[in-house]
Amino acid sequence: MIGRPPFFHPARRHPGDADQALETGRTRLLFTGAMFACAFAVVALRLVDVTLLKEGAGQRSAQLSAAPVLQTGRADIVDRNGVLLATSLKTASLYANPHLIIDAHEAAAKLVKAVPELSREQVYARLVSDKSFVWLYRHLTPRQQYEVNRLGIPGFDFITEERRVYPAGPLAAHALGHTDVDNHGLAGVERQFDETLRTGGAPLRLSIDTRVQHAMREELGRAMRAFRAVGAAGIVQDAHTGELIAMVSLPDFDPNLPASIDSESRFNRATLGVYEMGSTFKIFTSAMALDAGTVTMQGGYDAREPIRVSRFVIRDFHGKRRWLSVPEIFMYSSNIGAARMALDVGTAGQRSFLSKIGMLRPAPVEISEVGQPILPGQWRDISTMTIGFGHGLAVSPVQLSTGVVAMVNGGVLYPPTLIRRDSPTRAGTRVVSARTSGEIRRMMRLVVEDGTGRNAEARGYLVGGKTGTAEKVMGKRYKAKALMSSFVGAFPINAPRYVIFAMLDEPSGTKETLGYATGGWVAAPVVRNVVYRIAPILGIHPVDEGSPAIRQQLAIDIVTKESGKRRLASF
Amino acid sequence: MIKRATLVWVLLAVLSGTGLFLVKYEVQALEERLAAINHDILDDMEAVHVLKAEWAWLNQPARLDDLGRRLLDMEPVSSAQIRSIADIPMRTPDADAPPSTAPRRRPADKPRKLVRNPRTADPVIPLFAQYRRTP
Repeated sequence: MIGRPPFFHPARRHPGDADQALETGRTRLLFTGAMFACAFAVVALRLVDVTLLKEGAGQRSAQLSAAPVLQTGRADIVDRNGVLLATSLKTASLYANPHLIIDAHEAAAKLVKAVPELSREQVYARLVSDKSFVWLYRHLTPRQQYEVNRLGIPGFDFITEERRVYPAGPLAAHALGHTDVDNHGLAGVERQFDETLRTGGAPLRLSIDTRVQHAMREELGRAMRAFRAVGAAGIVQDAHTGELIAMVSLPDFDPNLPASIDSESRFNRATLGVYEMGSTFKIFTSAMALDAGTVTMQGGYDAREPIRVSRFVIRDFHGKRRWLSVPEIFMYSSNIGAARMALDVGTAGQRSFLSKIGMLRPAPVEISEVGQPILPGQWRDISTMTIGFGHGLAVSPVQLSTGVVAMVNGGVLYPPTLIRRDSPTRAGTRVVSARTSGEIRRMMRLVVEDGTGRNAEARGYLVGGKTGTAEKVMGKRYKAKALMSSFVGAFPINAPRYVIFAMLDEPSGTKETLGYATGGWVAAPVVRNVVYRIAPILGIHPVDEGSPAIRQQLAIDIVTKESGKRRLASF
Repeated sequence: MIKRATLVWVLLAVLSGTGLFLVKYEVQALEERLAAINHDILDDMEAVHVLKAEWAWLNQPARLDDLGRRLLDMEPVSSAQIRSIADIPMRTPDADAPPSTAPRRRPADKPRKLVRNPRTADPVIPLFAQYRRTP
């Protein structure tokens, strides 16, 4: 029996008081017990919360068990098929704290032995400087890092850095651009998409196809050597999206070695260079005139006499000295005919048409090296005439090729792009009618079949195109014998899939070309060779040019006034 | 009686303490292993990353082109070499005749072209190999 607490003493209280006190005591006990139970419950709940539910052990184990993710500082760049074009590799960079160096002479001597790229005097000068941080060598190879580590010089230490590498070397140099030693984009898409690339994440997918790019680069390089040209540019563009499948500018550079890039190879002839394109502009002049209705395919102009306007004389290179129909003007590349055709449309009409197809403003391509077209100071009638055959207005090759895409694909202009577009149809703007586009295609085929572009004929692939040869402007005069020879084509011309452009800067004729260095002799063969190489890669099936269906698609009515007869070309 | 109950409780406390101790150490060991494995995975991912760069380097179209020409006598496909299925004529009754008994020439009988050792003939030095981490 447990003894009662002293305040339960019965002698001091009434008999009923004892029960009362007992009751109070029990209530108090119950209350205290409940309070303790509550407190323990809180502790228990908190325990469950801390150990099982909330952050702490739970998250730690989650962190540990999650699959590790490789952090790369700068996102990769890949081509349209996922081939790696630019990536970042981890490297160690060596720095020193000169205050901790004991013997700078010895340290410098030892370091130069391990890293032969360094000069001893330079290292010594840095090691005795009064700073607490000096770079000694950025981006060591793992072997060099090991060697340096083995020297055991106090005061030397490494920082892990990222180095941008371009496994394809100079292949797509101008499209990619390059970065500086701190991985900031300095040119090309590296510069344009610097912010996006720096946040890491998914690779940037370009529209370039490395295989096509290689074919174009190699053929251009070969032609450049053969004709001793100072430079070259080449473009392959999708005729239904405006994507640049290949964009080459020669000479080019290796973006892996940014220090060795000179201004000549840095210059992007495909987008930054603006040139008077010459006769390839007759595509636009003809399309403009046919679309405006100032002339029809049966119409034509008198090309017997050169045109004299003040001190200018407009002559024909392949002079026929007779009335020429529109297809003949195109085929024989008559400057007189093109000038008259442009004049008929008028200055305002020409200006608005060229503006509509993007010839008067820089190409909206996603790199910063884009050239501003050079417009005539005063757009007079003489300007209208000369621009009709491609003189007096300088545009970049990518502008020209984008314009030609619109002329051949049924009349829809797509802005040029270096980024792969996944949607099959891009929004474009109609610039000429489908009918005009069909007429232009037929005339372009005629040039390759029968005109100045015969060297571009790639059997089975139905190349159509237009040659262009312009004298280069040097200061205020045209430089005699310095030509810009180009060819712009599309294939297969009955339903174009790709537009292809090649241009050589200051080529010289050879024995094989009978001394000619015109577009038809130097640039057209490049296009032919490239078409032969890329068509199987791009899945274009060769066709029989002689088949009636294709003949009918490309048949053209040539009216010859003198004989009063009509003859059907392509037959 | 009270003593026995106390003993049981003490025993339980010791057991659970020991259990906790053992589990804790096991978890710690497992966590260390996990961290080590994760570290290895990361190392391997980095190595794969370097190898991808090297793969792209070795697959430069210019190099493949050169190797194909020099070692395999490859040439670009000409349009005359491409035909569609529709161009192949239908099988004639003659073709159903039993095959001739003359022994067919096996590809192995063809005189084989001597192929140079690609290792020594290869002019491209795998530049990125130097970035591969040595184990």
